[in-house]
Amino acid sequence: MRKDLVFGMAGSGGDGIVSAGDSLLQAAAAEGYHGVMTKSFGSQIRGGESSCRVRISTDPILNPGGNLDVAVALNWEDFLKFGAELPVAGTTVVIYEAATNIKESEIPLVGVTPLQVIAVPIAAMAKETAGTERAKNTVVLGLIAGWFGIGAVAVMKGIRKKLAKKGEELVEANQRAFDAGRAFAMEHPLKTSMNVVASETKGAVKLITDGNDMCAAAAIFAGCQFFGGYPITPSTEIMQFFTDHVWKYGGAVLQAEDEIAGIGAAVGASFAGKKAMTATSGPGLSLKSEMMGLASIAELPLVIVDVQRGGPSTGLPTKTEQSDLFAAAFSAHGDVIRPVMAPTSVADTFRITIEAFNIAEYYQTPVIVLSDQEIASRKETLDPIDTSQFKIINRLRPAGADLQDYKRFKQTENHISPISHPGMLGGTYLASGIEHVESGAPTNSGSVHQRMNDKRTKKFDPLKDRRDLFEITGNPDAPIAMVAWGSVAGVCREALAMAQAEGLNVKLLVPYLLYPVAEGVYNDFFASTQKGLIIEQTHLAQTFKLLRMHIDLPKGVKSLARSGANPFLPGEIVAALHHLLSELQRSHEGQLQPQE
Amino acid sequence: MSATGTCEFQPKDYKSDLKPIWCPGCGDFSVVQGIYRALAAIGRPPHEIAFVSGIGCSSRIPGYTTAYGFNSVHGRSLPIAQGIKLANPDLLVLAAGGDGDGFSIGGGHIAHLIRRNMDITYIVMDNQIYGLTKGQLSPTSQKGRVTCTSRYGSLENPVNPLLYVLAYGAGFVAQASPTDLVGMAATIEEAIRYPGFAFVNIQSPCVTYGEEAQQIKGLKAISETLASLGHNPADRLAAMDLAQHYGEKLHLGVFYRNPEPPPTYGDLVKERQTLLSKDALPKERILDLFIKK
Amino acid sequence: MATRGIDFASLSLMDALDLAILVEEEAQERYEEFAAQMDQHRTPDAARFFRFMAENESKHGLELSARRAQRFSDAPRLVSRAMIFDIEAPDYDAARAFMSPRRAMAAALASEVKAHAFFVAALPALKDAEVRSLFEELRDEEIEHQDLVKAELAKLPLDSGLSDEDFVDEPAPQ
Repeated sequence: MRKDLVFGMAGSGGDGIVSAGDSLLQAAAAEGYHGVMTKSFGSQIRGGESSCRVRISTDPILNPGGNLDVAVALNWEDFLKFGAELPVAGTTVVIYEAATNIKESEIPLVGVTPLQVIAVPIAAMAKETAGTERAKNTVVLGLIAGWFGIGAVAVMKGIRKKLAKKGEELVEANQRAFDAGRAFAMEHPLKTSMNVVASETKGAVKLITDGNDMCAAAAIFAGCQFFGGYPITPSTEIMQFFTDHVWKYGGAVLQAEDEIAGIGAAVGASFAGKKAMTATSGPGLSLKSEMMGLASIAELPLVIVDVQRGGPSTGLPTKTEQSDLFAAAFSAHGDVIRPVMAPTSVADTFRITIEAFNIAEYYQTPVIVLSDQEIASRKETLDPIDTSQFKIINRLRPAGADLQDYKRFKQTENHISPISHPGMLGGTYLASGIEHVESGAPTNSGSVHQRMNDKRTKKFDPLKDRRDLFEITGNPDAPIAMVAWGSVAGVCREALAMAQAEGLNVKLLVPYLLYPVAEGVYNDFFASTQKGLIIEQTHLAQTFKLLRMHIDLPKGVKSLARSGANPFLPGEIVAALHHLLSELQRSHEGQLQPQE
Repeated sequence: MSATGTCEFQPKDYKSDLKPIWCPGCGDFSVVQGIYRALAAIGRPPHEIAFVSGIGCSSRIPGYTTAYGFNSVHGRSLPIAQGIKLANPDLLVLAAGGDGDGFSIGGGHIAHLIRRNMDITYIVMDNQIYGLTKGQLSPTSQKGRVTCTSRYGSLENPVNPLLYVLAYGAGFVAQASPTDLVGMAATIEEAIRYPGFAFVNIQSPCVTYGEEAQQIKGLKAISETLASLGHNPADRLAAMDLAQHYGEKLHLGVFYRNPEPPPTYGDLVKERQTLLSKDALPKERILDLFIKK
Repeated sequence: MATRGIDFASLSLMDALDLAILVEEEAQERYEEFAAQMDQHRTPDAARFFRFMAENESKHGLELSARRAQRFSDAPRLVSRAMIFDIEAPDYDAARAFMSPRRAMAAALASEVKAHAFFVAALPALKDAEVRSLFEELRDEEIEHQDLVKAELAKLPLDSGLSDEDFVDEPAPQ
């Protein structure tokens, strides 16, 4: 019996494999399991290769998993296009379409001998039972129910609900296809049983959502009343969520004519006193950068979500990467700090988005949330979240004495000045991109510029002491350390647990606040460190370099970086940690010898 | 006596203490006077007005008023103005800038503001030149114009701002000039009062880089009020016909005013908000949207 | 120069006095504005002259205010600045950076001529005898003002005839 299973399925868009993944995830949730689903596509709008990964576990899930336990290939050409995204190993059961006419002994996977390979006449079964090959995905769900014990009842319950409006005939066709798949599995048992143990939390309320919807919901919860944006993959669902819901809360959304207008409208809404947001991906972040400079100098609260994808330019628009880190930290021109936050999962996207609004409002600054394609589009099952634990911060308003001879950019002890908005009597001022004195009046004085730059940067000092925006797990005094953020953090969390189980003395730092770099947090973390890895999905090792700009990293701390769409596997990180340990042991021996 | 005499606000109530950086003789001095007067006639208190601009000589204008001003970045006054209007529809929102700001770097925004018909008044101070950067060719410079970036004469035809906005369906289109202060103040006032997007092109001479013919004297020589031509501002096609003479003639007054103004974007937003507000989950329960049963 | 919403036929003496005060006020403010422009653009001689003109306008305004107070005490004013446009105030177009004092005076002279024309033009429409005589008085004063400026002008040496623009720096890009 298994507690954890990773499914990876691929086919062409017409095979409905992603929709099967959705059904599987929902069924698993209904049966009380934790689940994570990621999707990956080719570049065609319709009919290109598509794949999904569904990981199901009795325990909370840290990431979409490494090697597949179950691989489903509706055709090999499409399956192989996903390469390292769907890694097959010696522990994998491979199920594929018999109509491909490839012998079980000749499947095109190089250098690997799967645990078991089964050719199933999926298309033929679909045609026979449902009258159309399109029901292949339902046959697959039946196979999964039969072989792995997930969704025997819940899958069809879900499908029934989804198709109820379309008529009983369609539901029945699906039921027949499902039953056929399940019967096939029963008649051909696996060599090693891989049934999943029943979940103890069956029947408990579970939420299912993805990072983009979670981000938008968090924004509305935080009081965001305005969204301005422009469609761009993979962030667009955030705008879609706003268009569905924000009106209900008296807010508005503007699908603007371009990325610049999208953030411009959000800047305007913030100036007018409302919490505002925009969302984009790398190319859009570049276009928005001038406006981000404006919001910084005008000290206007604003949240900018960048759902990262492979770059530069159009790059890999449907694949994840972390390569916008420099672009976010150093977005726009001039000497300025813009906080950069990063969630690591769908669940913590809620908290991090709220924090981003709180920081934006408190410090009167644009804040960038660096999400990534994986978090944004992956679906997770979640236990209900108690929203009362989250504090909402609103910008400091001028009151009473502040409105006598009001000075918008007044120097204060903590460098934060009360901010008025149009409609407020006594609070009129000129907001501007031009340097200004305390009243807001334009100036080109060097000394004022120096003072105002001080104000606009020193105000962030307390942010670097927010230790709650950093997560340290493992032994805090361990000699071997890892740092990872965003979706990579989840892989490293699992690697940490695996390494600890193997007796390694390691630790992991996950920053939710990436910029400004909190020197104190890192210096404390690295104090005991002799060897370490900064693990990231960027080609240029951007995180490693950003940290080196601010911190004297211990010599033994190296970079483990690679381009996007090449996911890290927990196992390979554990192997890298072992390697560090052996290096450490060798160097100790080396140090000891001369003394003898 | 006219009721204007008992007005609560005087033009000077809209004048700030900031000293304009404009060159002495600049047309924009008159424009800001026209705006003070229009605002006084309308009588909204300054703190209920948001005045947004981009970058350029004329974009300094919000700072010279006592309204909430926003001197933003080049070409982007309109997106910001729209965000303000959507965030707080009760505000009187004005946008202003130069011809380069509006029709070159920010040219893409106008069409979209027009099709959204937000209740925003947009004043362009059109001087056919980039003044702040020292006299380069602008999108409204005449073909053949010699500037420091067109030493041998411009090879491009100018944009026609009037035809541009008329073509996109603006509900209110007018032109004014410091050659006729009364007309300018009245036109701006009428534009602000129009319920929907309103556009006023103001031929405002650049005293430093403008050509002789573009100065007040030259403009006066080619100016004619639309009223004197018997133009009916409800006639959009006639307006487009007249607008074709942009650059040769200076037609002053209202080219087009939609006689039946359609609902504004703000009206439609309010309607939608009211309709949907009953469906709102309390914010603290917003995650219930994701419950799968 | 223009007016808006003034019905000259029904103008009362109080309104006429108030209008005259507003005309002086407008001119005074404009000269002050010009003086500030000249300060800002390093044109001190013209600035000094515009300040001198502002003081003159202020003096006339005060004289008129005193008359108004004597006759009508503090009865509320029924006319407003929104009704007059550049009556005695020099046109914005008349100012130039680095303008010579002579050119500044020419601008002032033009505005006195303009004001004179305003009163002349208004006269035929006026019905009230007292208002008529006030406007005639004001019209004649404008002639005096013109003479005053002409006298100042006469004290100055002639301009060189060379263009100021040939001596000054290029404008600074922003």
